[in-house]
Amino acid sequence: MSDETKPCCSSGNGEPTATRSTAPMWIIVVTLVLLFTGGLFLDSHSGWFDKNVYAPYQSSAQLESFQPKSGAQAVLARGKGIYESVCGICHGSDGLGKPGQAPPLAGSEWVMAKGVKRLLHIPLAGVAGVIQVGGKDWNMNMAAMGAALSDDDLAAVLTYVRSSWGNKAGVVTGDDVKSVRAEIGKSPQPMSGDQMMKMPE
Amino acid sequence: MNPTENKTICSSEIDVSCRVPLLALFGGAALWLVLGLALGIAAMLSFHKPDMFADCPVLNYGHAQAAANDLLLYGFVIPAALGVILWIFARLSQSPLALPIVPVVAANLWHVGVLVGTISILLGYSTGHPWLEYPRGASVLLFAAFMLVAVSAVATMGFRLNRELYPSHWFLFAALLWFVWSYGTANLFLVCNHPPRGVVQAVIDWWLTNNFLFVWLALAGVGIAFYFLPKIAGKPLASSGYALFGFFTLVFFGAWVGIPSGAPVPAWLPTVSAFAALLSIIPVFALGIIARKTVWGANVTCFGGPFCFIRFGMLSFVAANLLYLGEFCPRASRVLDFTWFNVGVTQWQLLGFAGMILCGAIYEILPRVMNKELPFTKLAKLNFFLFAGGTLLFVIPLLIGGVEQGMKLRDAAVPFADASAVALKFLRISTTGQLLVLLGALCLLLNILVMTIQWKLGLVKCVIAAVTAPLKTSEVKS
Amino acid sequence: MKNGFTVFVAAFVAFGASWLGLVYGPLKQLGVAKETTVLQLGDKWPVQRTGAATLGLQVYRGNGCAACHTEQVHQTGAANVISITDLGSHKSSDLKDFITSLMVVPELMNCSNAITGNLAGWNGELPKVLYCGAQDTVVSLLGDKLKAVGVKTEPRVITTGTDIARGWGTRQSVAADYLYDSPVQLGNLRAGPDLATIGVRAPDLNWQLQHLYAPRSVVKDSTMPAFRYLFTVQKIGTLSAPDALVLPKAFEPADGYEVVPTPAAKELAAYLVSLKNNAPLYEAPFTPITAAK
Repeated sequence: MSDETKPCCSSGNGEPTATRSTAPMWIIVVTLVLLFTGGLFLDSHSGWFDKNVYAPYQSSAQLESFQPKSGAQAVLARGKGIYESVCGICHGSDGLGKPGQAPPLAGSEWVMAKGVKRLLHIPLAGVAGVIQVGGKDWNMNMAAMGAALSDDDLAAVLTYVRSSWGNKAGVVTGDDVKSVRAEIGKSPQPMSGDQMMKMPE
Repeated sequence: MNPTENKTICSSEIDVSCRVPLLALFGGAALWLVLGLALGIAAMLSFHKPDMFADCPVLNYGHAQAAANDLLLYGFVIPAALGVILWIFARLSQSPLALPIVPVVAANLWHVGVLVGTISILLGYSTGHPWLEYPRGASVLLFAAFMLVAVSAVATMGFRLNRELYPSHWFLFAALLWFVWSYGTANLFLVCNHPPRGVVQAVIDWWLTNNFLFVWLALAGVGIAFYFLPKIAGKPLASSGYALFGFFTLVFFGAWVGIPSGAPVPAWLPTVSAFAALLSIIPVFALGIIARKTVWGANVTCFGGPFCFIRFGMLSFVAANLLYLGEFCPRASRVLDFTWFNVGVTQWQLLGFAGMILCGAIYEILPRVMNKELPFTKLAKLNFFLFAGGTLLFVIPLLIGGVEQGMKLRDAAVPFADASAVALKFLRISTTGQLLVLLGALCLLLNILVMTIQWKLGLVKCVIAAVTAPLKTSEVKS
Repeated sequence: MKNGFTVFVAAFVAFGASWLGLVYGPLKQLGVAKETTVLQLGDKWPVQRTGAATLGLQVYRGNGCAACHTEQVHQTGAANVISITDLGSHKSSDLKDFITSLMVVPELMNCSNAITGNLAGWNGELPKVLYCGAQDTVVSLLGDKLKAVGVKTEPRVITTGTDIARGWGTRQSVAADYLYDSPVQLGNLRAGPDLATIGVRAPDLNWQLQHLYAPRSVVKDSTMPAFRYLFTVQKIGTLSAPDALVLPKAFEPADGYEVVPTPAAKELAAYLVSLKNNAPLYEAPFTPITAAK
């Protein structure tokens, strides 16, 4: 307990010292070599600080090459876009139609039909007179809204309509549109529902 | 270089000035170490018997594991390192501890902070960021306490007689700064009302984790080892230029490691970390080589003494950190990611490297500071063997099990349950190792506790003596 | 180094550099991120969670679920794939010859072995993968050539990796997935499976609740601790509680008692069900499998 009994301060104080010499050359060389190889790795794997490049992709060009360019999703997205700007105004984004303006598309027997000929006739030639949808008579005219769309665009819209809001029907292809368009010819005649029913499906 | 002759300040006088702060820091640290290891074992029990704590939320794995980890780092490693730093700075400065009351207050603040934090985690109030789980109240206490100790340490360093800085000065002074900056940053961003959105939180947390587990532990641990190794070996450190190189490469490269290579962040972040990890191999080797050169040929007989602790710690420093850096190699990480391997490496860094060096330092410092022998020298030696054996038995099964688990996780044909099952086998062995470490920690706690009690009894005796013998007034010290 | 100030400056520069790179940089690049859009469909991503699910994240955090579960899917590669879906009027053997004859096109030379290898032993079963590799030019070229002769093909972008093969996700996790999470719970140990898409794999709230209460009642060799403290076992009153768990015999409480989830358990289950990080994004592209056909 009593520090005083010990002789005070053995001088030289026993604190550690360090010899003076520099780091050996070899470790500096190794550092430089590692810096160089690490730099190569950084260059090839960092995606150059692009916020969209995640490993395993190594560059934005490589990422771009893996972007899906077509496929069913793309068709649906394209159809959705056109639907919203052309059809949705009357038929509604929810496909339920608007009373006094346009009949519903969701669950409509015209939309869900096996064949697509009658369905295609509507946007390509228009409707004039009574048309029966879901057991209800709709009496109003529709212009040939789809005539101005390209084959592929119209096909995309109808594919979207046929697979949205609970509708489950097959894909409409550009070739389908092409053939129906050719049948209708240059001077489309809008028809009523009854007239269309006389056509093959 | 040469000691100043004109002013003779007694080494024992310096030691005495450190006595109360060091007892406060070491005592709490040893207690937290024991509690942390015990909690860690309790957490692992959930793997041996999954429904053990099904009705006891406090000890469920998610709570206990986080609390145990934080107790090891914040409870044991940091306060113990602070105590050792204070003493080393006072000794190197050849002047008594500056503002000795400040670290005493700080030590108590720190321990209250750890207590509050631990209880909060166990009750489910953790922040959810690994290694930063303590809620705001506890973090503020820890930060304030650290600042106070740092002020005392830096002031002591400023009073040094020999103006030349010894290599330990660089490492330990940088460690003080490093903690304040990184802990401050992480808390400001993550434990506040408006943390950044999304995955940046994880990035900051990884950055902090690396700054603690790699950079800070290396700065503190190596700084302490560079003081004691030459001192005990009776040889100068080999050499200052080499150490300077190690220091610079460590702080400049080491601080960029940390972002795991599979992380859901843009590729450049993990790539930069992998690059930095590659370069950080250099300081790890360099610092290891310096330690090796310093003790090479030194005639030290130690059978479980402080020298053994510190030598083992430096070996662990090289081994554990090489494995740690390896985790950031993209190829290796495909196998090692999300396995027990990472857990093993972290425990090796904390217990095998930092823990060993700190224990050695504490056993070296305590007898000088208290000016008497350890009460249980045999237990202190037993502590070394329990720690060394226990750490290896704890860590190595985790490493091997982790690799095996990783191989199975990587193979989609192996069902996930099989990958988990293969790890369980290894966890059983590793829990045994954990138990040995706990026993070692009990030796440490016992030594410190008994020393503190003896010292307090001595104080009382002195006071009584002073009262009953009023004529003799000069002698009551401490 | 002679004085403390030099050490201070050195440490400050080293620390400041890493701070700028790994804290400030990501903050500037990712911290200001807004919602992104799902590839092709144009929907907003990520989807904002419901109130209960948002609270559930806090239960997930508080209980330390991230100690054993990750919420990040890894991916080791990606590939452009083209497969034949409709032969048109051709026979498979004729088509084989036709495709083999295409191999003189310079763009296809490099992968001619792979393509002919894919065709070897093909008897006309559909869909037939023609090419699976990195080159998107090969896919578009083959698609055009085959379309010209009336053969329908489908190009796809697929992702590869163990996690994806395990069914833990369809693509790797990216920063956008975590935009609404605070704290972000990525996790770093897979003692249990990854949960990034658990809401897709197990979308049933009752399954989640039962799994939390008694993991081994639904997954036989699960090592997950039971979270019984998130439930209350109470005496059945005049009517049993509407949200009481329906448990298998071995896990039922004593007769006359029922297990009712606490609000925390319900929130946690809502959170788990909300984890569905699998929409195709620009930075993580793939072609989803749709039921459009």
